[in-house]
Amino acid sequence: MTEELTDARSSLPAALGDSVPEDATIRDVLSFTLADEIYALPLGSIHEILKTPPITHVPRAPEDVLGIISVRGRITTVLDLRRRLHLEHEPSSARARILLVDSGVELLGLLVDEVHQVHRLTPAEVELSSMVSGELADYVLGIGRPGVGRAAETGASAELLILLDPESLLKRMS
Amino acid sequence: MSEGDAREEFLAEAQEIIEGLSRDLLLLDQADKEGRDEPELINEVFRGVHTLKGIAGMFGYHQLGAVTHALEDLLDDLRLGRVSLAQSVLDVLFEGVENFQRLLGEDPEGPPVDLEAYAAAIDQVQAPAPLARETLEDYALDSSVLSVLTEYEEHRLRTNIEQGVTLFRLLVRFSLATIDSSLEELKTRAKPLAEIITYLPSMGGGGGEDIDLEVLLASRASLDELREALGDQGEQLSAVERRTHAPSRLPPAPSIPAGPGAARPTSAPPAPLPPASIAPHHQTSAPAAPAALSKEPAADLLSLRSVASTVRVDIRKLDHLMNVVGELALVRSAMAGLREKLQRLTDEKILTRDLHRIGRAFERHLSELQDGILDVRMVPLGQVFDKLARIVRQVAREHEKEVQLVVTGAETEVDKLIVEELSDPLMHIIRNAIDHGIESPKMRELGGKPALGTLALNAYQKGSHVVLEIEDDGAGMSIERLIETAVRRGLMSHAEAEELTHEEVLALVFLPGFTTRSSITDISGRGVGMDVVKTNISRLGGIIDIQSEYGSGTKLTITLPVTLAIISALLVKVAGRPFAIPITAVQEAILLVPQQVRTLEGREVLSLRDTTLPLCRLNELFGLESRDPGHRSFVVVTALANRRLGLIVDELEGQQDIVIKALGPSLTDVPGFSGATDLGDERVALVLDAPGLLEELLATTEWRRVGEARLAEGPR
Repeated sequence: MTEELTDARSSLPAALGDSVPEDATIRDVLSFTLADEIYALPLGSIHEILKTPPITHVPRAPEDVLGIISVRGRITTVLDLRRRLHLEHEPSSARARILLVDSGVELLGLLVDEVHQVHRLTPAEVELSSMVSGELADYVLGIGRPGVGRAAETGASAELLILLDPESLLKRMS
Repeated sequence: MSEGDAREEFLAEAQEIIEGLSRDLLLLDQADKEGRDEPELINEVFRGVHTLKGIAGMFGYHQLGAVTHALEDLLDDLRLGRVSLAQSVLDVLFEGVENFQRLLGEDPEGPPVDLEAYAAAIDQVQAPAPLARETLEDYALDSSVLSVLTEYEEHRLRTNIEQGVTLFRLLVRFSLATIDSSLEELKTRAKPLAEIITYLPSMGGGGGEDIDLEVLLASRASLDELREALGDQGEQLSAVERRTHAPSRLPPAPSIPAGPGAARPTSAPPAPLPPASIAPHHQTSAPAAPAALSKEPAADLLSLRSVASTVRVDIRKLDHLMNVVGELALVRSAMAGLREKLQRLTDEKILTRDLHRIGRAFERHLSELQDGILDVRMVPLGQVFDKLARIVRQVAREHEKEVQLVVTGAETEVDKLIVEELSDPLMHIIRNAIDHGIESPKMRELGGKPALGTLALNAYQKGSHVVLEIEDDGAGMSIERLIETAVRRGLMSHAEAEELTHEEVLALVFLPGFTTRSSITDISGRGVGMDVVKTNISRLGGIIDIQSEYGSGTKLTITLPVTLAIISALLVKVAGRPFAIPITAVQEAILLVPQQVRTLEGREVLSLRDTTLPLCRLNELFGLESRDPGHRSFVVVTALANRRLGLIVDELEGQQDIVIKALGPSLTDVPGFSGATDLGDERVALVLDAPGLLEELLATTEWRRVGEARLAEGPR
């Protein structure tokens, strides 16, 4: 499992870049909802998915810090991904989960509304970030359209995944 | 073992060696100043450098390897007497230790190591000392013995002769099976009185299971004293006679039972190869082997044994264990909860009682385990004091001052992490004390003080804190100059400065950028860096205070918690959220009587037993909702050193042992918290940083004064 994860992590940006090697055809991402939109992070960047324990608020912490939790004895900072992405604030439901993601400096928790599934994306199913503009552009690698080929055949509309770049998303924290 | 582990291991070992070197050099320095000759110490240093060279090569630290190599040569010359020990040589050796530290990345901020300059410095002191060849001839020493002496042994022999030490010859017979232990015993017995220069297998003697050794000793004791000290091994001891310019006489190469008797004269001429001396040469190949083996390895075996009873452990492993203990404590409380539930649900009295008993036993062992781990983390402050002694010597020499360091309480134990973090602040303080505190010998004499300045480093435990005092008998600080500087820097007006008490003026040195030295060439003016020192100490949960009398000296007092790993804390609630306050910072907790709260210059204070206590409403500070005023609240009186502050909280939840865990790097800039702790039942509580809060809330001098509770006339 670990090997698969590291493999995915190290090669995903390349797969989404301009020079996509022919053999790097399939990449795994995990999709989740935030304020009714579907986002995805490279599966390799996600260490763990946690049910949300009570989060301890930290007074005088930066705005996008939700608070801290204890993950098996380790105090972990949880970020408010909605705030980071400038989305509406909403109380979290029972479906909310915390994704543990390595920022390079520490493991950070990202609170999301709901976790969906793992998608295996082929290069054909990925559009590059150039089409995304605005503040979000910093954090977005591109748009994923899983099953875009099949959707055309069946006439069904393909799901849209906003592929987030974990590195830039977490960089400002560290 | 992974490469990283191996590297860690290397760094740890190298560090240990360097610390040992540092200690030995200090002893050597002292011996040199007292005019004593300490060959064993030089050997010790040589061995240390040699080992370091070996492992440096193994781990690819080529620069380190080069420095150790150059130093090894110098040390070899030193122990062979080609170079004699002097302060200049010691300077080079001490500089070597500094370079090692730097090359190992201990001090990345220091200037880069200029290897060429250092090599030149080594060369300079390595000029050979003249050799005195003739002296040996004057002694009735067997040329067969002389011819097999190593260079080192020959050097020791000459040195002893030059210093007029009497030479003795001892014949002993040891069983081959127990030669190591017998030799060790001999060394131990001889050590207080004599130096063993060499031991060689004696010719002819023994056979089969035994071996005869001829031991050459140098001692200032008399024959009888030495014989007594050696006990049953000393029966065959005799003095080596001085020749009276008669042709050299050779001892008769006696076999052991030849009887004691002083220097048996013999007619055998000192021919290049007298027939009698063929035998020992011939024999050396065989019996010399055990002798040679038993010399160094005997010592090595001893040191191996002493090392084997201790282990070196990465502090992170202990942190991990501490975490596990914390988890177990959570398991324990969960179990207690289950037991209570069970008690309510069932009539099985015996079962629940047994469960209770087991729970108690579990609790007891758990706290033993916790204490045990804490104990392992404790190291004596001496570890950092040794480093400081080196700094004292170096700085004193740089500034041409005479300073003696007097240390007490080096055995006081503190958490390893704290000791590590202490070394920088202490180094700074000590540099300042020598640079600016202690005057030059001339100045001191003019002031009626002894030329030799004293720097005292005292450590002792006081309750759950450790107190460290750094005291010099130097110039002290001038209140006038401190005030003048503060005004010049725009830190306050003259009128404001006049209001300050003596202590408050002294505390100005902790303000960022404050310095009384106007000269820019002076890099370590008192004041520069003292704010950093203070910040570092606060980060450890400690407090630093200063006392100084102009003309008679300065004393810095650092109060630190013994450990950061696990502490007793008072749990409180503010706006329904739990917070932990380290109990060491809590003086008392009282019910808040709203009528007693007054406002003084826009801030709330409370009169408490004739003193005025500044208050801080935590819910306001933390931006949390406040309770309706009808509800009762509490005041937790926090105090550190002489500062006090009342924190207003909603509820007191009781006392609990907690394991403080660091907040992640993204939260380290958030003020007011020293970490967080797991309370079990999924709750995480923030731990208040009491020194930090005191600092933050009593930031202005006015408020510090109130906080220091010296105003007895506070409003009633």
